[in-house]
Amino acid sequence: MFEIFEHTADQGLRVRAPSVPELFQDAARGLSSLLAPNLDQVRLLQERTISLDSNDREYLLLDWLQELLYAFETERLVFADFQVVLLDSSLRATCRGEQFDAERHGAGTEVKAITYHGLTIRRQCDGWLAELIVDI
Amino acid sequence: MPQGGFSGPLEREDDYCWRIPRGYKRGMRVDGRIFASEGLIECIRNDQSPEQVANVAFLPGIQGASLAMPDIHWGYGFCIGGVCATDPEQGGVISPGGVGYDINCGVRLVRSNLFFSEVKPHLSALVDELFRQVPAGVGRGGKYRFHRRELRRLMGEGPQFLRERGLVTEADLDHTEARGCLSAAEPDNVSERALERGADQCGTLGSGNHFLEVQVVDAVFDEEAACAMGLEPEMVCVMIHSGSRGLGYQVCDDALRLLRRVPEKYGIELPDRQLVCAPVESPEGRHYLGAMAAAANYAWCNRQLLMVQVREAFAAIFGRSWQELQMTLVYDVAHNIAKPEQHTVGDRQRRLWIHRKGATRAFPPHHPDVPARYRHVGQPVLIPGDMGRASWVLKGAPESMERSFGSACHGAGRLLSRTAAARLAEGRRIDQELASRGVVARARSWRGLAEEQPAAYKDVDLVVEVVHQANLARKVARLRPVGVVKG
Repeated sequence: MFEIFEHTADQGLRVRAPSVPELFQDAARGLSSLLAPNLDQVRLLQERTISLDSNDREYLLLDWLQELLYAFETERLVFADFQVVLLDSSLRATCRGEQFDAERHGAGTEVKAITYHGLTIRRQCDGWLAELIVDI
Repeated sequence: MPQGGFSGPLEREDDYCWRIPRGYKRGMRVDGRIFASEGLIECIRNDQSPEQVANVAFLPGIQGASLAMPDIHWGYGFCIGGVCATDPEQGGVISPGGVGYDINCGVRLVRSNLFFSEVKPHLSALVDELFRQVPAGVGRGGKYRFHRRELRRLMGEGPQFLRERGLVTEADLDHTEARGCLSAAEPDNVSERALERGADQCGTLGSGNHFLEVQVVDAVFDEEAACAMGLEPEMVCVMIHSGSRGLGYQVCDDALRLLRRVPEKYGIELPDRQLVCAPVESPEGRHYLGAMAAAANYAWCNRQLLMVQVREAFAAIFGRSWQELQMTLVYDVAHNIAKPEQHTVGDRQRRLWIHRKGATRAFPPHHPDVPARYRHVGQPVLIPGDMGRASWVLKGAPESMERSFGSACHGAGRLLSRTAAARLAEGRRIDQELASRGVVARARSWRGLAEEQPAAYKDVDLVVEVVHQANLARKVARLRPVGVVKG
């Protein structure tokens, strides 16, 4: 589950999930929804795998979202479905989606980057919480 | 993360200056200083931006004070509207967050010999043509393509690289800050990923707060300066606001990644990870500076190519070449950048690195870096406001070097978050509201207009008044928008 929270110049993304892999999946959906507001219109026609490594889980989340942003900017690929597997410090993910089409997906906001400001992942009594701010 | 207002100390120094004393937080090396009126400071207290001014004061080698302009608002790491000077001789650092993701985001102003009465009957057609010609919005590439080798040259040389294609004139270069070229550029320091993101984006506007506006000179406050800039009442101008696009964002991101462990390495303690930095005179610092300068040169090319497309659109609508329309570049300023500059600290001349994160250079009259045409009046300072009210042209004031390391504000500053602005716009047609105020607006998305509606910003007139009264920059002319193109 994700929600957008307010930040004066930019946009905050708050994600809650029962497990860390789901936290990563929902964060990715949150990012995609900024780029393509009609996320349910994204067909799952293309598939990509992404592998990443980082000793720091928060940095791993940031790197993961940056990868998705990069695929969007360079190949115009927007993803709506994610399967994330986390093992120690590594991430392996399968992402499914299609070429961005502003007509169907809605003209979203250009996201410049995922920032380090306020980047947190916390364990809560009922699962996990992540917060981050994207630069618009 | 901390939310809500700032409850720390803000001591009044004079009518337009407020101090956060160095003692506020352990680790601050200098005071914080915010330029604002009594009215604006109340608004500034409402978010965490003063806390960010205090955090910047932690940076090693910082000189004078951690400064903020009256358009200050909550950013990530640095506040937006911040100025920070560091001295490499005293372990001074360079911080990619102090430049921002959009390296050399900036503004340029193009004038013309058209008056509004001649343009008004063609305004809709003109804005439509600009909207067609100039790529804007998410996921839109441009019509200019550069191969890797060309892109490297473009980043090394800035807009003068475009000369062989006939896309820039000597006068354009003269009227661009630093002539559009930071000589420290090291295109080889720019990653393959950044090149990939930038390959088809040079000459595109982007989205967010970037825009292209047709504006009319509404009032002139300084005839001598306005005359030097070729501005007269009712004259039609175009303001362009964009930066280094995906290339610059990636350069910043690469640098933040490279620097993740660097503060530990050099024993630097920071209150926010986004303030990550490296000594100017370190391999990591030099690497970033070379890449940053290359991205800055790319941004100047981007705004140059945007201007070329604007000139083409005017020529198509008015049936005359841009030369006949005398669409000369008034000036181009960067407002997200770090540059080495000579400043006096105490009674010594020093070469400092000035970070301007949402702040504009405002050099005074007779400064050698001000182009010959403006040297007697001061550097033109371009302040975009919002799309319903006004934008401003100012000139650097004699006192600016001493008061703000030769800097002024960069805009009106946001008042509402994007979410709040979009909520406020629900059920409304911002384009129709603007039309009723005489502004023709075209945007790729409803949300783009909603987030950028006039009510989302502070009143730029109030912000400019502070800059004027605080002697950072002086008023030259007020411009009112009549046409808007947004991503």
